[in-house]
Amino acid sequence: MAKTVIKVENLIKTFGNRRVLDGINLEVYEGETFVIMGGSGCGKSTLLRHLIGAIKPDSGEVRIKDKDITQLDTHGMDEIKKRFGMLFQSSALLDSLSVEENVSLPLKEHTKLAPDIIKIMVKMKLGLVGLRGFENHMPSELSGGMKKRVGLARAIAMDPDIVFYDEPSAGLDPVVTAVIDKLMIDLSKKLLITSVVVTHDMNSVFRIADRIAMLHKGKILQIGTKEEIKNSTNPIVQQFIAGDVEGPIQFLTKGDDYLEHLTQ
Amino acid sequence: MSVKERNEGDVMVLDLSGEININTSPDVRKCFDKLIKEQKKKILLNFEEVGYIDSSGLATMVEMMQRMKRFGGTLRLTNLTDKVRGLFEITKLDRLFGIFPSEEEALKDF
Amino acid sequence: MISFIEQIGAFFRRPFEKALGELRLFLQVIYWIFVGPFVRKPFSWRSTANQMAFSGVHSVIIVFFVALFTGIVLAMQSAYQLVQFGVKSLVATLVAVSMARELGPVFTALVVAGRVGSAITAEISSMKVNEQIEALDTMAINPVRFLAVPRFLGLLVMMPCLTILADVMGMLGGFIIGYFSLKINPGLYMNMTVKFLLLKDIYTGLFKSMIFGVIIAIVGCYEGLNASGGAEGVGRSTTVSVVSSFILIILADCLLTGIFYFLNI
Repeated sequence: MAKTVIKVENLIKTFGNRRVLDGINLEVYEGETFVIMGGSGCGKSTLLRHLIGAIKPDSGEVRIKDKDITQLDTHGMDEIKKRFGMLFQSSALLDSLSVEENVSLPLKEHTKLAPDIIKIMVKMKLGLVGLRGFENHMPSELSGGMKKRVGLARAIAMDPDIVFYDEPSAGLDPVVTAVIDKLMIDLSKKLLITSVVVTHDMNSVFRIADRIAMLHKGKILQIGTKEEIKNSTNPIVQQFIAGDVEGPIQFLTKGDDYLEHLTQ
Repeated sequence: MSVKERNEGDVMVLDLSGEININTSPDVRKCFDKLIKEQKKKILLNFEEVGYIDSSGLATMVEMMQRMKRFGGTLRLTNLTDKVRGLFEITKLDRLFGIFPSEEEALKDF
Repeated sequence: MISFIEQIGAFFRRPFEKALGELRLFLQVIYWIFVGPFVRKPFSWRSTANQMAFSGVHSVIIVFFVALFTGIVLAMQSAYQLVQFGVKSLVATLVAVSMARELGPVFTALVVAGRVGSAITAEISSMKVNEQIEALDTMAINPVRFLAVPRFLGLLVMMPCLTILADVMGMLGGFIIGYFSLKINPGLYMNMTVKFLLLKDIYTGLFKSMIFGVIIAIVGCYEGLNASGGAEGVGRSTTVSVVSSFILIILADCLLTGIFYFLNI
């Protein structure tokens, strides 16, 4: 059995009186691509923010390499943060810095490497994401897909063990999405990076995932391999995969209380 | 991380051992700086004891190669473990360096 | 009655929370300047220099004109009264002292708050709503050290410089009116300026300007770092930043002037 890199135990988080995460348990193994999927507002982004230590839970544990990050102080957390990378939904490149400066930022901040070495490293990372020769471009000159790739180059700048992806296909056309997916697969297989992906893009999910967790209303409905999820008997999972309007996930108001609702 | 130097004829062989990562690659670079200053023409890096090399290590190798080129020196690599070789291949650096399966073959090539 | 008190409470709660947040940010900035470099990580001198250049370049022309015209207006308004008492040469003294003690630092601060403070908030708040601040955080780069400290130091240094410029320009404005309209002898005008303008007039003004610089930087960064709600949020926080800077500058000015006045400084 592969080593466990991330372990979440009984994670609970409440915003106001809404319980966003309701007892989450999951394990991510070394080197795999683990996808967290679910509808909008199911808590998947909140879960991701717990994994990177941006939010503290009400109760429960998030263990990264056997360290409970919910108990760490900022200094301890910083040390963990240097070991993982994150690709943001909006790429989150710093607008005032060039592509090269963006990718080299963590290296300049956290290492004592010589500027010449950092330059070579940045070029190597940009080569890995297929952006040779774009060092001096500003983020505003790049398309959405290119920004994502620069974001990915920055995420892997420090040779992380884990990379988190927040909706990597958001705002991209299907072809660019496929390119990004291919990159994600390449990086995780070649560099042996553990990947945690949050997405609701089903095409993407079945391309990249080793294992999938389906999140619904703050709870995990099912965790399994691609095949297990595809053949799931859970009606919610099935509705989500097929993208049906009719099913247990209800958006349209049912007849009974509709009149009441309208006249209230 | 340690680097041991020995001479095989007119070739300087460096036996590297340990992990070459963000923390240790500056040390390797310092060692290289000295060899550059001495203008060593033929250098062979023995990776037998290197379990892992990260991108800062790879960048250090690339820089060394570039610097040696300036005075007509050659850099060869040998005894790469599968994992380390894989890391050279991902970044397509295997095409850049002369990589040899054994020390004898590498020495013959100089 | 109770709901009335509640309403008053609610009215004051937000400004109070804001003030607390700004105080906390101020302490964090102080930590990263004096303690952080030794126990954690130094801030960047390069981006501090960039910020100095940025705040200087952005405000110098406006400060130049605002101060010049302030000096002209001040000379005309004071001449209007002083001529009646037959002491028109006192115009020089009045312009010099009021520019140095009061109008130089305050007008410079208001200009800088509108020009640089708003730019700081706009930049940082758009970083905030585009996940860039969060990205810095996940790269283990502290946003206060990385963004707030250079802007804070930049303004702390540039504000007194711009104020000196404003003082000089204001006095030049006064001189223009004094010489061309009031026909005061230039030598006498200079003399009256230098004789009654004390060193303490200048350094209390410069001290004020540094405090104003602190206010502009902290309010600007605070509003930026706490922005939310997309492009609309950027606009909102920028407005709030300028307005609160203005209010705090005037409040601080009143307080400082009071202290200097009653302690006879």
